[in-house]
Amino acid sequence: MSAAIAVRMVGADLLKLRKKLGTVIWSLVLALGPVLIFFIVRAAQHGSNPAEHGPAGGTEGFMDSMRVLAVLFGPLAGIMIGAEAGAGDVASGVFRDLVVTGRSRLALFFTRVPAAIAVTWLVTLAGFALVVAGTFAFASGAETPTVADLANGLAFSLFSTGVICIVAVGFAALTSSRPAALTVLIGWHLVASPILGSIGSLGSSRKLILDQAINHFSPVRLGDHNANVAMGATTATIVVVAWIALFLALGAWRTRTMDA
Amino acid sequence: MTNTDSTAHDPGGPAIETRGLTKRFGTRAAISAVDLHVPCACAFGFLGPNGAGKTTMIRTLLGLTSASEGSMAILGHPVPAERSAALRSVGAIVEEPRFHPHLTGRENLRIVAAVRGPEVDARIAPALARVGLAERADEKVKRYSLGMRQRLGVARCLIADPKLLILDEPTNGLDPGGIQEFRYMIRALVEEEGRTVFLSSHLLDEVEKICDAAAIVDRGRVVTQGAISELAAGGANAELIVGTGAPEDAIAVLRNTDLVCDCTRSDEGLRVVLAGEPDTAAAVNALLVEAGVPVMRLEPVRHSLEQRFLEITARLDEPALEQEVSA
Repeated sequence: MSAAIAVRMVGADLLKLRKKLGTVIWSLVLALGPVLIFFIVRAAQHGSNPAEHGPAGGTEGFMDSMRVLAVLFGPLAGIMIGAEAGAGDVASGVFRDLVVTGRSRLALFFTRVPAAIAVTWLVTLAGFALVVAGTFAFASGAETPTVADLANGLAFSLFSTGVICIVAVGFAALTSSRPAALTVLIGWHLVASPILGSIGSLGSSRKLILDQAINHFSPVRLGDHNANVAMGATTATIVVVAWIALFLALGAWRTRTMDA
Repeated sequence: MTNTDSTAHDPGGPAIETRGLTKRFGTRAAISAVDLHVPCACAFGFLGPNGAGKTTMIRTLLGLTSASEGSMAILGHPVPAERSAALRSVGAIVEEPRFHPHLTGRENLRIVAAVRGPEVDARIAPALARVGLAERADEKVKRYSLGMRQRLGVARCLIADPKLLILDEPTNGLDPGGIQEFRYMIRALVEEEGRTVFLSSHLLDEVEKICDAAAIVDRGRVVTQGAISELAAGGANAELIVGTGAPEDAIAVLRNTDLVCDCTRSDEGLRVVLAGEPDTAAAVNALLVEAGVPVMRLEPVRHSLEQRFLEITARLDEPALEQEVSA
């Protein structure tokens, strides 16, 4: 398959995703809503009792709102978009019509990935823009993050949501079901992963948990709830790459072998 | 100049050819040892009752599911070995045409065009116009009726500029006017553009009116195949209905000639089974007139595909035919 065809196919997958207004709107709600609520609540607290509560913005506000975006809710947006990209063709019944074009099934699978990442990153960028706006708007004279802090924060947000999105594409293709993929991945991200990460008796095996590996790269100081396991950059990189490779391989295998 | 295009299809070769094609789901054979020969540039009906294995056959041909046994070739390309090359010139509708409902008709075609290749973009507008959807192409598909979706499905086939169209129950959901338009379109695709259409249906009338040739399939097996007229006749001798005011005299004359095998009275007149070709009807007429029998009507009996189909599928329950088909 030529690069030109690949680009056209990615463009087609992008068209499918960006026109899926329900998915896009709810992803934006997940990426923007909690950040907005965070700043409103913190600003109200600061306004009512400045001695007890610091400003909503500034460096501290940036770090906390980054946690909301990049660690908690941005990945949920990535899951929604990834699940739509991974299982959308099968769910709508169009997959067989794409297969009968004679195009390789693997090509049909892999071109979904960049399209899903692109939409996820657009949503993440919108969320990050809100984080930055709130950080400076509600600084109230407090120290504000440097350009390097902002760059690190943006890079981590894109990394975190992008990785989760890729895993979601693969998992949704494996299950061929958006509801199943959404349920399992959201449950894993919000419930199972933090619980497993907090069980000390699991020891270093917790390094295999994707969220733990992703959070290793976070510029944000994470609380005990999010990061319990210390690991080196190499280990974290291997774990992230292994999760991506595993779920892409499973999604590709299922796409190649399933009855269409 | 040497032709180096290894994907070129011999136009005289079959559009579809299968040998012993079998697809099993567990221990149940959905299609069993099917030998099919679909000539090029014709409309070929794949006729069978619901559950006969028609859709499974199409899904197997298109590589949507794998065959359990046997071999197949589409446009001269062995499948699945050269599946991509084979399907490049194939347009197909399998079961009900499905689309992304949140996209417009045109956008749905753009999705498929992106997968097929850049040369396909230019065919989108003409294909939409051809199926009568040009004015509603920018509406979301979720607002389309089933008939409009069927037509959009045909447009999706046409953008491939296919040599072979494989259509599974394509008139489902069409109103009578739409069915008639569809027939005209299929005939135009075959007669004016030289394309091959493989059309599965359980509607005998539809196949008889649209197709040049057909295969009758039942319980996963192809029972018989050939030109529609041959299938309808089923190898039987030509028959005539003779209207006369002197039937007893006519019977006496016709039972003493080698031109006729059998002659019986029926509600419509005398039913005469000819011994030779249908054109011996003229000789029968002359014989009756020379014998002084007044002939008021002479009408060939048309065998219907429906009659033949029902005979065949009913006979499948008979052990002798079961063995014949298996052999």
